[in-house]
Amino acid sequence: MTISRRNFLQQQGMGVGAIALSCLMQQEQSQANPKNVPKRPPVFDLKPKPPHHQPRAKAMISLFQHGGPSHMDLTDPKPELTKFDGTDYTEEVGFSFVNEASKKLMGTRWKFSKHGQSGTELSELLPETASIVDDICLIRSMHTGANGHEVSIRYFHGGVPGVLGRAHLASWLLYGLGSETNNLPAYMVLTDPAGHPVDGANNWSSGFLPALYQGTVLRAKEPRILNLDAPAHLAGAPQQQNLAFLQQLNRRHADRFKNPSELEARIASYELAARMQTAATDALDISQETKATHALYGLHDEATREYGTRCLIARRLVERGVRFVQLFLNGQPWDNHSNIGTALPNVCRKTDKPAAALVKDLKQRGMLDEVLVHWGGEIGRLPVTQNQGAAEKHGRDHNGQGFSIWMAGGGIKGGMTYGATDDFGHRAVKDVVTPNDYQATLMHLFGLQSNDLVFHQNGVQQTITADRPARVVREILT
Amino acid sequence: MIRVFTVSASMILCCHLVSTAGAERLTYEHDIRPIFRAHCFDCHGASEEIEGELDLRLVRLMIRGGDSGPAIVASKPDESLLVDRIRSGDMPPGPSHLSDQEIDTIERWIASGSKTARPEPAKIGPGLGITPEERSFWSFQPIHRPALPVLTKRDESLEIEEPIDFFVIANGHEIATQADRRTLVIRAYFDLIGLPPTPAELQDWIEEPSDKWFDHLLDTLLASPHYGERWGRHWLDIAGYADSEGYSAADTERPWSWKYRDWVIRALNDDKPFDQFLTEQLAGDELAGPISGDLTANQIGLLTATGFLRMAADGTGSGANNSEGRNQVMIDTLQIVGTSLFGLSLQCAQCHDHRYDPIPQSDYYAMRAIFEPAIDWKAWKPPAQRLISLYTASDRQKAAEVEAEAQELAKTKAQELAEYMQQALNQELMKYDQPLRDQLKVAYQTAVAERNDEQKQILAKHPSVNITSGNLYQYIPDSKPKLAEFDKQIQQIRSKKPIQEFIRALVEPPSHQPETRLFHRGDFQQPKQLISPAAFTVTSEPGQQAVFASDNEQLTTSGRRLAFARWITSRDNPLLARVIANRLWMHHFGTGIVATPADFGKLGARPSNLPLLDWLADELMVQGWSLKTLHRTIMSSATWRQQVLDASQKDYASRRLRRLEAETIRDRMLVTTGRLDPKLFGRPIQLKEDDTGQIVVEKPQKRRSLYLQVRRSRPVAMMSSFDAPTMETNCEIRSSSTVATQSLMMLNGQFILERAIEFANRVAAEELDAESLSTLPAFDFPKPLSDSWQYGFGSYAQDIERTESFTPLSHWNNNQWQAGPALPDPKRGWVLLNAQGGHPGGPTHAVVRRWTAQATGSIKIDGKLSHPSAAGDGVRGRIISSSKGILGEWMAKSNSTNTSVSTDVNMGDTIDFITDCQSNHTSDSFSWPVTMTFSDNDQTMIYSSVDQFSGPSDPVAMIPSQIIRVWELAYCRRPTEAEYRAGCQFIAQQLSTFRSNPTAIPQGRTAIQQAMTNLCQSVLSSNEFLYVE
Repeated sequence: MTISRRNFLQQQGMGVGAIALSCLMQQEQSQANPKNVPKRPPVFDLKPKPPHHQPRAKAMISLFQHGGPSHMDLTDPKPELTKFDGTDYTEEVGFSFVNEASKKLMGTRWKFSKHGQSGTELSELLPETASIVDDICLIRSMHTGANGHEVSIRYFHGGVPGVLGRAHLASWLLYGLGSETNNLPAYMVLTDPAGHPVDGANNWSSGFLPALYQGTVLRAKEPRILNLDAPAHLAGAPQQQNLAFLQQLNRRHADRFKNPSELEARIASYELAARMQTAATDALDISQETKATHALYGLHDEATREYGTRCLIARRLVERGVRFVQLFLNGQPWDNHSNIGTALPNVCRKTDKPAAALVKDLKQRGMLDEVLVHWGGEIGRLPVTQNQGAAEKHGRDHNGQGFSIWMAGGGIKGGMTYGATDDFGHRAVKDVVTPNDYQATLMHLFGLQSNDLVFHQNGVQQTITADRPARVVREILT
Repeated sequence: MIRVFTVSASMILCCHLVSTAGAERLTYEHDIRPIFRAHCFDCHGASEEIEGELDLRLVRLMIRGGDSGPAIVASKPDESLLVDRIRSGDMPPGPSHLSDQEIDTIERWIASGSKTARPEPAKIGPGLGITPEERSFWSFQPIHRPALPVLTKRDESLEIEEPIDFFVIANGHEIATQADRRTLVIRAYFDLIGLPPTPAELQDWIEEPSDKWFDHLLDTLLASPHYGERWGRHWLDIAGYADSEGYSAADTERPWSWKYRDWVIRALNDDKPFDQFLTEQLAGDELAGPISGDLTANQIGLLTATGFLRMAADGTGSGANNSEGRNQVMIDTLQIVGTSLFGLSLQCAQCHDHRYDPIPQSDYYAMRAIFEPAIDWKAWKPPAQRLISLYTASDRQKAAEVEAEAQELAKTKAQELAEYMQQALNQELMKYDQPLRDQLKVAYQTAVAERNDEQKQILAKHPSVNITSGNLYQYIPDSKPKLAEFDKQIQQIRSKKPIQEFIRALVEPPSHQPETRLFHRGDFQQPKQLISPAAFTVTSEPGQQAVFASDNEQLTTSGRRLAFARWITSRDNPLLARVIANRLWMHHFGTGIVATPADFGKLGARPSNLPLLDWLADELMVQGWSLKTLHRTIMSSATWRQQVLDASQKDYASRRLRRLEAETIRDRMLVTTGRLDPKLFGRPIQLKEDDTGQIVVEKPQKRRSLYLQVRRSRPVAMMSSFDAPTMETNCEIRSSSTVATQSLMMLNGQFILERAIEFANRVAAEELDAESLSTLPAFDFPKPLSDSWQYGFGSYAQDIERTESFTPLSHWNNNQWQAGPALPDPKRGWVLLNAQGGHPGGPTHAVVRRWTAQATGSIKIDGKLSHPSAAGDGVRGRIISSSKGILGEWMAKSNSTNTSVSTDVNMGDTIDFITDCQSNHTSDSFSWPVTMTFSDNDQTMIYSSVDQFSGPSDPVAMIPSQIIRVWELAYCRRPTEAEYRAGCQFIAQQLSTFRSNPTAIPQGRTAIQQAMTNLCQSVLSSNEFLYVE
């Protein structure tokens, strides 16, 4: 045994480590798991894999707005609704809270106006989003068909309404494309410091896909990434020595066999783990950003600081090759069954500026071309009043029949709106887009054909949309 | 498109190319129909509604065409509408499309005259039917025992006796040299019981002189109760075992599921013939007969077995007791049955005829009809109502008696309470004058709902009258303990009830035969024709489908599942024995003979060695479905006993390194650290969320992983990271991933850190015989810094300004040094020293913390002497240098004082921190943490009296034996000399690191303990530990 071998970890991953690493990262000459090819033995990895076709997007940031943002108060102006405010709605409505249900139409109490060259109309609650309308595509015709939160969230993430235990679309992206970073988890979830969203950890589950494709939670407080940092007594030299000794054991073991590629991969995975410790710390260090950037994301303002910080970290992560970042909020802040007059402006105040800043920041850094940004919830809200007694307590009930989301970058056409709901914002009526269409579209932007990205589970060919009808919404692509 | 195929797949491709080499040989049945089946038949042939009137099931119907005209023009692909629509991407609609290769095949077929294999029938019924080509698929053929191949070339050095080896060699395989005995023993242990041998066991097997040692080894392991645990886990994977209901985010706990788990373990340990094992799981309730009176042990077993059919996720007890939720249970149950027993993706035929395999949609519903009487979505019982109590009549009677007794006492308690309430009210009312007093009394005694506004008002105005049983204690404090005593007694009485246990079973109601209808597109809201219970069409000769009677008159139940079980385990079903033999092979080798154990259909892998598979399947049946016999057959083969050459070989018949499954990794750690509790059976071990939100196992971690609660939505972090299934439905094959998160867990995770401590403690506690140690090369270890400190008592001599005597404290008690086992010590009183400070004895027994200089240089001493107690007369601290005498003296009495001095030392000098009492030693606990900064020309070192405080230090002489023991326990072997040296060097390196970094040693550990702990951690996370040869 020589000293240089013992200390190879300190040698910047050269020597033995580098060989192992190249083995781990070696690019496979296969397509992204094509359909109809009999399965190989189930060994999975995160090696980069070529897509089915030329991709537009390399990474995605999803700003998930769960609870059901009230589209007729934010993104979908409905003059007819305002006109008939207070009168009875004649169409049939599905209510979640029957005890408080009413058929009285409720017009928005906020002003809409046109913005940008595109003239997209937005409510005064989203002044910052108004400043990026020429970079985003606003889809006003989303449809899940179900009013429940969980049903629709699972539909958006897993491809089938209501079904728990399916793989998240980000897990599919990793399965199909592998990872672009050697130093960070490729799929990261930024949770709200106040707690988890509804459905908790199921929101970043890899379901039936192997666990290596699941989301890694970047917690709002220490430890930010589980098991990332050494416990205090191991930090520094003791752990470096442990690692060197471990790798020495592994090296001796691997040397006994011909073709020890899997063993080499595990040796390399320890190096990745060690590198992740520095890389993650670096990615989270927003003090490296300029004052102007801090201001852009609203970090000086109590209302926006927390969400702005996470949006900024999201950018720093995709900058370092992370494939998919998703931000969640605590509970269901957009679920404005009551007091919509005060509750809705509050959650807008928290999210509007940081979300817009993210798009602006990506654009000014030339990253928007390859980074897809998504903003939206799982449902919208009803045009009728949810009656909570006094007028100021009024709110709106769930509505999965029609609502809005927006996307930007990564091959999405900016400055456009797509689809429409009816005159009252109740149902999507024109160019309806389902979560399956949404999935097929974003997979397409990543260079994948959603129906051809197949995972064999129990003899079933699983796809993200479970073979449900799904179309690539070509009209919104550049 | 460039596609890389696996070995088996490329063979298929080759066959395909051979058969289609001449374009004229393409036929509709062989080449085109499978493509249409996958992409087109849903709309153009399979169902009654034919889109655009275009039926693609027959060539002549294609030529005739549909609404848009002829679909194909003979010999002219360019003019054929079908090709045009497919090429343009119009068809099929939606994002799915045909591959270029498939389109090319269609074009060439048309160009070559759109031939059929045989004349097409004049008439065609509904549906797709099954063609001879589809019927001839390998897995649907009956199992015939193949003759033993005659080998032309044989390696004489190998003892080939087992039929398996003949089949393997005939298949073109070379069998490698046999592995050594040690490797075989370890391999057999992990294969059969999932645990490593202890060093002693291993030694015994290695030294066993008998020629039959291997047979004896197999006998022993197959007879081990842990066999059922190991193979039970494999079966539970495909059965979809879980301790929770799934379906909703709440993922309600599923109590009593474990009874089925335990039944599986017992059945496998008993080597219950597999056909019976399965029959009981499919139809135990029908075998058990009508239930009246107490359940017999046999009935309990049979009913528990049906838990298999209750494994599917089930939301009907947690908010989804609706048509959709109920049908989902049926769908999942059929999926479990299909994948586990048939190796077919049955569920693909739920909405339409199977796209690849000859399973018409009607077959799916014929299968459903078998289970419909027991899992009837129109007569549903949610999970809680299906539990079967194991109470006997006498248990019930006893319970009733106990309850009556409890009620009796409850009544007394109620009376007591009423009296207290009355007393409190009377007391309270006395504070009010009439007429208010009576008004309050009436208002209070009026039921809440019946109080009038006036009554409500006066009660609101005088809230103290609102006495409740909850606030009664505020009025009469004595009432609380008195009433609580009643509760305790009632609880005690109830605890005398016999413990009531339940089983989760599937019990078909008597005389219940609901109809089964085919659901159009799988939608239960679109029921179509009636379907009767039957076996798969394709498994029987044309026109001879095995059907099951809708009702068996000899049973109170319909008898459908029993008939199904009889058929599935009969020779008429070609799939089961193959599927099970393949699973066994897969678990012994890592790869199945069919690489896709749950898909024996067209999309699955082809058998790498069909004669071998069929021989094993036949052998399984011939040997009375004994799994243990088949294990023995497989493991006795030279193929199984080969050594590993190529670590990553994925071939079915080669040995490769196999990573242990999540459970086995954890179990191996528990065995290695000496903490495994080998107890079998019982309730699942509870899980909890730790501070970081990870799901972890409740301490103490002792039981095998099989017994950890399987909560679908709360997978144990350590388990799922190493690919334990999350049980969405079931798991037909484990994946084996290698990712950085596993490494992070092994570097920093709480679980491994705890195991490493236990492992280090274990090896420290064991002793190796001196003889074996004497041969070890000596190694010079650096002294740990803690060795610079000594703890004793003595006194200070005023005249010479030196420490007069120093007697080391002899007793280490958990975290402090004492003069004897008792405190106070009869002679030396309260003398003690701990990390922070201590307590002096009487005036002649000062406590002395002594530091010895390991080199010559200068030191700066910073400390703080505190006497925290408000009582007593305080303590005196002195710092004495052995060469320079007293350096300082301080008093502390209910206060603190800094004790900073600097001096020079020569190597071997001592610095004593002497603390004594003043006039008396009451309340003289003190703290005196000291930091000494030592500098010489080369270095600066920090000594901390707190961080380096430790108990008796292990002599470095013990390190070599401990390293040897680590290897023996973890790797089942001794280290090589190079490994031994590497281990010693690691320990030496750590010890010297700790010298300059005292915080690397957690409180309560010594330097050597910590260095060994770190060594143990590396060993437990190393590849040799995680992989088995």
